[in-house]
Amino acid sequence: MGEVTKAKRELLLNGELSPVENVRRALERISKLNSKINAFIEVNNGAVAQAEALERKLKRGKRAGKLAGLAIGIKSNINVNGLRATCASRTLEDYVAAYDAEVVRRVLAEDGIIVGMNNMDEFACGSSGETSAFGVTDNPTAPGRIPGGSSSGGGAAIAAGMCDLCLGTDTGGSIRNPASHCGVVGVKPTYGLVPRQGLIDLGMSLDQIGPIAPDVYGAALLLEVIAGKNLNESVMLDVLKASYIDKLDGVDIKGMKVGVSPQFTEITDSAVMNVIDKSIEALRDLGAKIVDVELPHIEEAMPAYYLIVSVEFFSATRKFDGRKYGKRIEDVCGDEVLRRILRGRYISQKEYRGKYYQRALQVRTIIRRELMAALKKVDVIVGPTVPKLPHKLGTKLAPMEMYAYDYLTIPANLAGICGGVVKAGEVDGIPIGLQVQGKVLGEEQVLRVMLAFEAVS
Amino acid sequence: MFQIGHHTKLFSYARADVDTGLKMAEERQKEIERSAEEIVESFVKAAEDLPSEREMYYSQEEYNVVRPDGKPSSIDERAEFRKRFIKIMPAKDEDGNLRVEVAKWVK
Repeated sequence: MGEVTKAKRELLLNGELSPVENVRRALERISKLNSKINAFIEVNNGAVAQAEALERKLKRGKRAGKLAGLAIGIKSNINVNGLRATCASRTLEDYVAAYDAEVVRRVLAEDGIIVGMNNMDEFACGSSGETSAFGVTDNPTAPGRIPGGSSSGGGAAIAAGMCDLCLGTDTGGSIRNPASHCGVVGVKPTYGLVPRQGLIDLGMSLDQIGPIAPDVYGAALLLEVIAGKNLNESVMLDVLKASYIDKLDGVDIKGMKVGVSPQFTEITDSAVMNVIDKSIEALRDLGAKIVDVELPHIEEAMPAYYLIVSVEFFSATRKFDGRKYGKRIEDVCGDEVLRRILRGRYISQKEYRGKYYQRALQVRTIIRRELMAALKKVDVIVGPTVPKLPHKLGTKLAPMEMYAYDYLTIPANLAGICGGVVKAGEVDGIPIGLQVQGKVLGEEQVLRVMLAFEAVS
Repeated sequence: MFQIGHHTKLFSYARADVDTGLKMAEERQKEIERSAEEIVESFVKAAEDLPSEREMYYSQEEYNVVRPDGKPSSIDERAEFRKRFIKIMPAKDEDGNLRVEVAKWVK
């Protein structure tokens, strides 16, 4: 898949492919495949008209934006003016967004064409793509298996070629997990690099919006467009603008220090780990220096995360009381959403605050310190994304078994660092993703390693 | 998914269905509560031997800055937004203001 986005972009820029034609092809593919894959909840009926308007603009000699004519899917928890932002929940099934999220404004300003709203786990509460009120999403690369979640529709849409790029969100692995299961590329940016204004939040201290793409170039391109400070937000890093694409030409990772942790092997299925070990060897062959790093408390990150996210989610959902818009959430939500609300309510009680919530925030400090110490020794840390293979759709899993999918992705969210996923290989036809975690604002190094690996895999 | 409201509408036709439905709702709630506690217990166990540390509410310290006031949006923009918002309001009065009812659970 390596050069898909770059080649498409060149065709669009030199006029060999028109934006209208590209958008029509995407819509046709969605129309053909969506009944089976269920990657889109809603299609943008205005997409072709927007592509026509772009063509008129280009004919007048105006500058083409970085995403000119590319077909973009948006996760259904991000507001796009005029389209439904349902969070894949009956709570918001009739909620038509009245404004564009800041990331959407940036996509539109660079001439991206939004073709529709992607399916997802309800309120981003899930790791499998099975909790959507609009039905499960299938995995186009491994049919009959989960595509991963919660950005299930985005991962599946890219894998099925239904659109060029997607915006997902990642609170505990929700971009990286579907990227791994679907064999595509996903990036969770550093916390505070990408604006969250207009995102319907799951966990405000953990959520980040990021790209899902068929290749590293596509992910870098979309990240470049959405990254950077929004003056209307207070919880952002002081980064005015980011640029990645021009730094990816002739990429070389010779001499880069790549960390690997023995703790990854302890909690990962051997079949998955075999693929990852081969990837690490490939990086060594490319000239990277492989260094062991210790992450002794990585297993404690998962339960701590679920406590923190439940408290933040409970707080975030209090506005869904059915009075201003939507339906009261507890009346119509699915089991996992209700589970998190009940847990959050319980933990938030004053008498339990010190015992649970504050203790979880202390564990967060420990995890962050460990990752920061490891990343002082190396440029990036590589390893598996998900510790096990995706299960078959419909398999009954206990909540704790489901949460286990997130063991390896959660630490990056707790620490606020960045991480990306690129396809490493397959086990019986099921894709396995290599996770590359980087420092705070270390996106460039992460993308360089991913691109170098993509070129030889 | 089971919803109490849906089944109560069928009250006069199927009392037994209602009873079964309510029982199912109670059972579902109990089961979800039990599984919600599971991860809390697992956390307590996992954190037992970990040292006490300062709590981190965000992963970086420098986020919580007071933002400067931005430029207000134009009257036209605000009017346009208001129109769009009114479209998704559940109810409005004759002046176009949002009308909310006291929620059922506080009556």
